[in-house]
Amino acid sequence: MGDQERRSRILTAIGGPNTVVRPDEVALGICHFAVEYLAASGCAVTLMGRPPAVEVLAVAGRNADEVAELQFTLGEGPCLDAFLAGSPTYAVDLVNRGGRWPMFSTQAAGLGVMAEFSLPLQVGSAPVGVLDLSREEPGMLSDDHLADALTAADIVTDAVLMLQGASEGSELAKLLDLAGQDRMVVHQAAGMVSAQLDVTVTDALATLRGAAFRSSRSIYEVAVDVVDRRMRFRD
Amino acid sequence: MQDRDRALARVFVRLADTLIDDFDIVEFLHELCTDVVQLVGAETAGVMLADSRGGLRLLASSEERMRVLEVFELQSKQGPCLDAYRTHQTVAATVAEGERLWPNFAAYAAELGFRHMCAVPLQLRDVTIGALNLFRAPDEHFAEADLEIAQAMAKVAVTGLLQRRTIGEGNAISAQLRTALQSRIAIEQAKGVLAEYLNVSVDDAFVYLRDHARNSNRKLTELARDVANKRVDASAFTAPRAPRAVP
Repeated sequence: MGDQERRSRILTAIGGPNTVVRPDEVALGICHFAVEYLAASGCAVTLMGRPPAVEVLAVAGRNADEVAELQFTLGEGPCLDAFLAGSPTYAVDLVNRGGRWPMFSTQAAGLGVMAEFSLPLQVGSAPVGVLDLSREEPGMLSDDHLADALTAADIVTDAVLMLQGASEGSELAKLLDLAGQDRMVVHQAAGMVSAQLDVTVTDALATLRGAAFRSSRSIYEVAVDVVDRRMRFRD
Repeated sequence: MQDRDRALARVFVRLADTLIDDFDIVEFLHELCTDVVQLVGAETAGVMLADSRGGLRLLASSEERMRVLEVFELQSKQGPCLDAYRTHQTVAATVAEGERLWPNFAAYAAELGFRHMCAVPLQLRDVTIGALNLFRAPDEHFAEADLEIAQAMAKVAVTGLLQRRTIGEGNAISAQLRTALQSRIAIEQAKGVLAEYLNVSVDDAFVYLRDHARNSNRKLTELARDVANKRVDASAFTAPRAPRAVP
């Protein structure tokens, strides 16, 4: 199955492309999707600034809230590792091979969670949060479930980045489409703006989107101006 | 001919390295593209991958100049890369043919002085995951032999993509391709950060980044992430050994 097909199937499953308008609603839809279709016992979407600033955006299934909270209370767990490393982290057998996170593994197992899969929500180098899937039996996700989970993480990422500054009544599908069209120059400009304002590249991306929206131009046009140094942002 | 032989030898060495080391996929493909240019006889080469949002994304190219990157990126909507990806077939065209098939894209290619273009699908068993794209300036068609070399190099690229391992047990291809595309974005972000701190163009910033990675024996992507997250002091970057003129 193609990735694009996966994406539209998941968007349909979470309630149709046009009916959801807030990032937390999209995240909740994704959590329910994971429990229903990806054989997850629980799923959580957590937004993270620089740790320990965290916000559990949505949860579904058994103990998802508790498992998410555990990692932040204990300061260890696959979710934190995924966030810090910016790459998916799979804890496939917490009871027998959870040595990397001894406290988390023991307590998660106490809640019946035997495996945890943490996928960063990110654009390039700076994750904005993590999508966590829990299972009550050990073992790796199937390739198909993993591909779905990764696509779901992309959808949540786009929703978080695009919907925060979106105007009332914006169509989700259109916004998500826009998120996928950022060309390389947009990411270069985000890097430049992040240095100009001393903010994360993700915040810089939001700044660029805001500037584009206010001047009724595309983010691409604004980015070209930034990279060619016809435009700069200051504190 | 000697240069070609050397390029071929380099390709084999790098391919072997992918089996042993925890290597950097973007760097591997960037260098592969540089060798492909020599092996096939072309001005520039790029590797594009399909992403979950339905478009083709540039993962690596032989040249980092923004103007050249765009000739690849424009193909998220039309062009030989997209056709090769969709039809699973090798596509070759002159700019004149291209102007009929992909007007917006071919006009831009012509502006850069390219007269011939081709694209070879990147195939993993029966799934096409992207395409290898080549442009040539002199008025010489890509001959059958050129296309065969390009197809062989496309297989090398796929082999590299398959070697990539993420943390933990998972090695599903979807996770690997996604991580590779994220790496590429991190590199672009780092170029921007460096361009601002060092007051150089983003094109030159790549040279600084790559030289620093080599000199400090670090993986390009890892360094790029640190730069983008401002965990590296910009004063650590020294002028590249051979600064490149930007047209």
